[in-house]
Amino acid sequence: MPPVIRFINVSKRYNLGLTRTSLPSVISQWAKQTLRRSASTNRKYHWALRDVSFDLEKGQSLALVGPNGAGKSTILKLLAKITNPTSGKVEVNGQLSALIELGAGFHPDLTGRENIYLNGTILGLSYKDIQKRFDEIVAFSEIEEFIDTPVKRYSSGMTVRLGFAVASCIEPDILLVDEVLAVGDASFRQKCIERIKTLLHNGTSLIFVSHDMGLVRSVCERAIYIDHGQVQNTGTSGEIIDIYNQVLDRQRIEKMNRADAGAGDVEGGVEVTKIEALDASGRPVRETYGDQPLEIRVKYIAYKDIGKANAIVLIYRSDGLMCANMRSHLDGYPLHIAKGEGEYSVRLEPLQLFGGTYYAITWIMNADDSDGLAYGASDWFEVRNRVPGREAHIAVYEPNRTWRQNAGVNVAESARQA
Amino acid sequence: MIVQTNPLLKLRDLTWAWTLRTLRGRYQQSALGWLWAIVQPVATVAIFAVVFTRIVPVDTGGVPYILFSYAAVVPWTLLAASLPDMAMSLVQNMNLVGKIYFPREALPIAALLARIADFGISFVLLFLLVMFYGIPISPLGLLFLPIIFLIQITLLLGLGIGAAALNVFYRDVDPLLKLIIQIWFYASPILYPVTLVPEKWQWLYFLNPMAGIIAAYRDVLIYNRLPGDYLLPAAAVSLFIFLLGYWFFKRVEFQFADII
Repeated sequence: MPPVIRFINVSKRYNLGLTRTSLPSVISQWAKQTLRRSASTNRKYHWALRDVSFDLEKGQSLALVGPNGAGKSTILKLLAKITNPTSGKVEVNGQLSALIELGAGFHPDLTGRENIYLNGTILGLSYKDIQKRFDEIVAFSEIEEFIDTPVKRYSSGMTVRLGFAVASCIEPDILLVDEVLAVGDASFRQKCIERIKTLLHNGTSLIFVSHDMGLVRSVCERAIYIDHGQVQNTGTSGEIIDIYNQVLDRQRIEKMNRADAGAGDVEGGVEVTKIEALDASGRPVRETYGDQPLEIRVKYIAYKDIGKANAIVLIYRSDGLMCANMRSHLDGYPLHIAKGEGEYSVRLEPLQLFGGTYYAITWIMNADDSDGLAYGASDWFEVRNRVPGREAHIAVYEPNRTWRQNAGVNVAESARQA
Repeated sequence: MIVQTNPLLKLRDLTWAWTLRTLRGRYQQSALGWLWAIVQPVATVAIFAVVFTRIVPVDTGGVPYILFSYAAVVPWTLLAASLPDMAMSLVQNMNLVGKIYFPREALPIAALLARIADFGISFVLLFLLVMFYGIPISPLGLLFLPIIFLIQITLLLGLGIGAAALNVFYRDVDPLLKLIIQIWFYASPILYPVTLVPEKWQWLYFLNPMAGIIAAYRDVLIYNRLPGDYLLPAAAVSLFIFLLGYWFFKRVEFQFADII
């Protein structure tokens, strides 16, 4: 049986100048060339992919790992027939569905119901097919009560849920998944992963792009490490993740050495290497309660002495709502960053967040707070409610509180006295 | 679930869904709703009627000016409204074009269909007007209506699809198109009858397909006669433009996603 996907020496070149071929610029270009009498074309090209080859067998799952701009998205676009290769050959044997940009075709003024049909037809389903699967899609997306509400009133989480539900109700031979699970709450993410695993089990082949290495490890058997448009390594996902992490470490060391050699200004001069949520005893947590303490700890590496700096830590709920905005200098706690590794943390005791899924981000700002030097985002952590059955996400704040009632005052009595 | 494999069926379903999306989006939050389809041509005719019956009278051949004008404004409004819509249809949905594969023709075709819905509504009013003035229409003439309409659609599809594709590369297309439509308006027999054009220039005049199309609508609907030979060059030019536009679209559609 032939592989479902074959990439044979595929290269893709983007013409960077193409967006600026306005008549005035064409004329000035032409004038320059005639004056200089040089035949050299001044066009700028960018090779998004160079000579990439790989196969994907039926039922296999493959992760594409690499930094931003490495060429991962270009591979997905080539597979989805959105663009053509400059040279080489892309073979796709089977029906392909792409989970890229969920809900891209949604019209904000139309209801969820209308958008299901619209999005379904964009993805290649017939009207009848959508009708057949309609209830299933609605159930999966968990938006039953809002199905006749315009999508513009949905939260980002709801939009993504509906988008995933429509896109994944197809049982394609090949499924492309690009970073789409980054939004949406943890339980829905889990549901999506289960759905993807079910599809894999039923013989669908998967190409998966994510920066979440934990997700890559749990979903994919094999992985390809791509950088600068070229395949650097292939192997099991565990091997590739190790290699990728080593590369990141090595890059940091190199950057450090470059800074040592005084080779100009290293961008920002500092980098956040890790940001995590810790429990009372300093262990990383993925799950906690609102009445427990939580510490957000940030590790950084500075390639030069920065001196005075400010730290910002923000806590976001999974639907994008900012729940806390903490700035060290406003709290009278400026940082002092010297060359080398270091860490800072902010302790919330108790956390006082209502049940839901949250993540933290941090910014290291320069001394006058005008410019961000480094950024980092944590993994998701789940805050549970003490009382079971209380729905998550319906509130933000879980205050420390005391209830009181003055019992025994007779209303009729007090009215008569007045 | 089996994904639609026949590309034509896929195009059909998607085009239909996109047309509904466009129509619902357009009228969802408007008080007049689909009545807007009539407001535009009726307002235009009202202005023309004042100018060309009181100030500069035009010889309509004994037909009430309002009818004379409305019979031309209705098909012209279809062109003037649909071409810019079609030209913008790809550019406005670039996030979709760049992320998902689907038959790209669906977007400009749906933009046209959504305007044809408006055209249908204003055409009903045209029919009512014709009946109100008691103008007879021969059954043979009625048979010609779909043919004239088909010629116009062929023309609009060719121009619109071509303009939509070209607009991806050069955003000049949109303002240029609006300019062309403005000039084209005066080059078509909307304010005046074709008889105003000197006999020896008529062959040149009817190379403008809209001249033939509007003249034919008028002949059938308000003069109760069959369209003349002039419909042939209109059909030929429309077909040529359609083939050219479609060919260009197909040639460049794989580059759309690269040019965002």
